[in-house]
Order: sequence, then structure tokens, then C-alpha cells
Amino acid sequence: MRRTMLYLPGNNPNMLTRGWLFGSDGVILDLEDAVAMSEKDTARILVSRFLEQGEFGDREVTVRINGVDTEYWRDDLAAIVPMKRLDGVRAPKVDGPETVKILDEELSILEDKNGIPQGKLKLFCLLETAKGIWNAYDIATASPRVAAIIPGGEDLRADLRTERSDDGTELEWARRMLVFAARAAGVDPLDTVYSRVTDDAGLRRETEFIKQLGFAGKSVIHPNQIAIVHDVFNPTEAEIAKAQKIIAAAKEAAERGQGAVSVDGKMVDVPVVKRAEYTLIRAGLLA
Amino acid sequence: MKTSQAGTLESMDCLVTLEEAPSGAGVSIEITGASAARFKSAMEKKITETLAALEAKDLKVTVQDNGALDIVLGARVEAAYKRLKGAK
Repeated sequence: MRRTMLYLPGNNPNMLTRGWLFGSDGVILDLEDAVAMSEKDTARILVSRFLEQGEFGDREVTVRINGVDTEYWRDDLAAIVPMKRLDGVRAPKVDGPETVKILDEELSILEDKNGIPQGKLKLFCLLETAKGIWNAYDIATASPRVAAIIPGGEDLRADLRTERSDDGTELEWARRMLVFAARAAGVDPLDTVYSRVTDDAGLRRETEFIKQLGFAGKSVIHPNQIAIVHDVFNPTEAEIAKAQKIIAAAKEAAERGQGAVSVDGKMVDVPVVKRAEYTLIRAGLLA
Repeated sequence: MKTSQAGTLESMDCLVTLEEAPSGAGVSIEITGASAARFKSAMEKKITETLAALEAKDLKVTVQDNGALDIVLGARVEAAYKRLKGAK
């Protein structure tokens, strides 16, 4: 599950030590925007040591590297790939499949060099330009490493020559496009961050909206945001009970050789069963 | 003599300063701050081990500590040394 992935500044020992304890599904150790240019070297060393020896429980651990248009990204990868606790790389400013291929090749070289199984490290691609959104499907299918695509927030707004609004109208089409591309490619659509960290109601509203669009989760920048996002994504008891009823009815129908049955007056067929299974997966009741 | 620094004085961090010492002087270590009294020997061991792994010699090491864990102290010493040597 990737309901929440918490950004942790890569040069902040306090957050790198304690960040995983707040209960997000994943953590993102950030070497990009959260780190000043003058501290890129120290953050890289600190993050690599945490990946080598630090504790992250069962969280999915990724590192946001610097963009392939910077002088830092190769050193970032060289420092983090050999470390045992890395699950994947979050790549900023991916605007086409060629960016994925560049990263894929470099990761393959480093995996080979360090005795890591080929393809172990996943790619989480941040689509932060109009071009990136337009190429979403091609990006998502450019390598088997791609595990998720994620729309940018502020960078995308800047590229679209627009401003942040309360209801996020300016990103609505990009979000819909990204969900379609991700689902068509079989990767996770994950949403951008909600930057007003004290506006719990706003975060809840936005999370309900993106869940309805089909997103699998949302990046978060403050520990207080985790419980709200989980609450929205976790199925209610009524939803779980209904899903269990549907699965049981479908199983019974299959045993009787029937294709479809009726539950509470509504037809249960394959798509309904699939949605019920997804509900139980989100509830942690089905693998 | 060249010097370099890495780290901060924020909580759970430390500020490490390295200064080149004359050839043959060895490594001298001075630690002040939050954990200095209780964990001085463990911190000295970590610093010595880190510098040995980097094949560093003849340095004056000053650490202003604000509760840095072992792993952080090692990372800051490594970063300061790489800065001193002008490495990436």
C-alpha cells in the first residue's frame, strides 16, 4: 500500500531518525528541494549512512534524487544504490520516456556493479511539466522499474502559467490524465503534496477528491497529515462488511457454476467483485 | 592550515570542524556539547574509526554536539573530511 509517503529532508538527522515512526506507508529521503545547494554533499553522505545502518521498520524507503538536468544525480545514485535499505528512487522532472531510460540504464549499471538483482530498484516518476503530463503513459511504460507516476504541484503550476487555487482546479485535468495513464500502464497513480500543513479540512477535501479520481495515495510533508490521508483511504466498516458479503456471494455463485448473483438487490459481476477485493486489500484483509 | 566543516547545531546533529595538523602529529579530538560528558569515549571511537576508514591522518577534530547519534557523527566527520580534501 502506498497511501502515504512522507518526505524527510535529507540533511536533517532528527527527521531521518524519527520520521518513519509516524506511521506513513513509505518515506522519501529528500536530496532535492529540501537541501540547499551548498549542502548537497553532506546530505548525500548522511542519507547513504541512514540507508546503510538506519532503522525504517517495514516502510517502503525511497530517495528523491536531483534531476537528470543537474550535476548531482549521478553522485546521488552512486551513493545510495549500494545501500541495503533502498527500495526505489523518486525522480523529479521526468518529462518523457527518455528520462526514464537514462535513469534505468544508470540504475542497471550500478545494480550490476554492486551485486544487486537487476530491476530491484523501482522508479517513482514526478511529472512536473505540461510535457511530462502529456507523456504520462509513455513514461509509465518506459521501464518495468516504474512503480508509480506522480503529478508535480508547484512546478506544474508554474509551467502551466497558473496559480494555486483553493480547490486545485488548475491541476484537475492533469490529475485525471495521470490516473488514466497510470492505470492503463499498471502502475500506481500517487498524488502530489498538500502544502498548507495546518489546513486539515482542506487536506481531507483534497484527499477525498483524489481518491474518487482513482489515486492510490498521496505524498505528505508533515506527520500530522498521515492520519487524515489514511482515514480517507481506509475503507469504513460498512464498506468492508459489504465487500465481504460480495466476495462470499460470488464464491458461492462460482461453486454453483453461476456467473453473476444478486446481493441486496444489485447484480454482482466481475467488476463489482474486483472493487470488493480492492476494498479488502485496502483494509489489509486480503493480500 | 586548511579547515573544513560539516553539520549543524540543530537537535540530534553536530558541527564537525577539521583542521590539518603537521605531518606526524596524528589525530587529536575535542568534543563539547550535549553528549560530551557521557559518551565522549564512544564518540572518540566513532570519529577515529571513520577517519581510519578514510585513511585520514594528522588532523585536529573539533565536535560541537547537540545529541547526534553515532551514525550522524560518522556521516558529518566523513563529509567534513571529503570537503577538506576537496573531493565531491
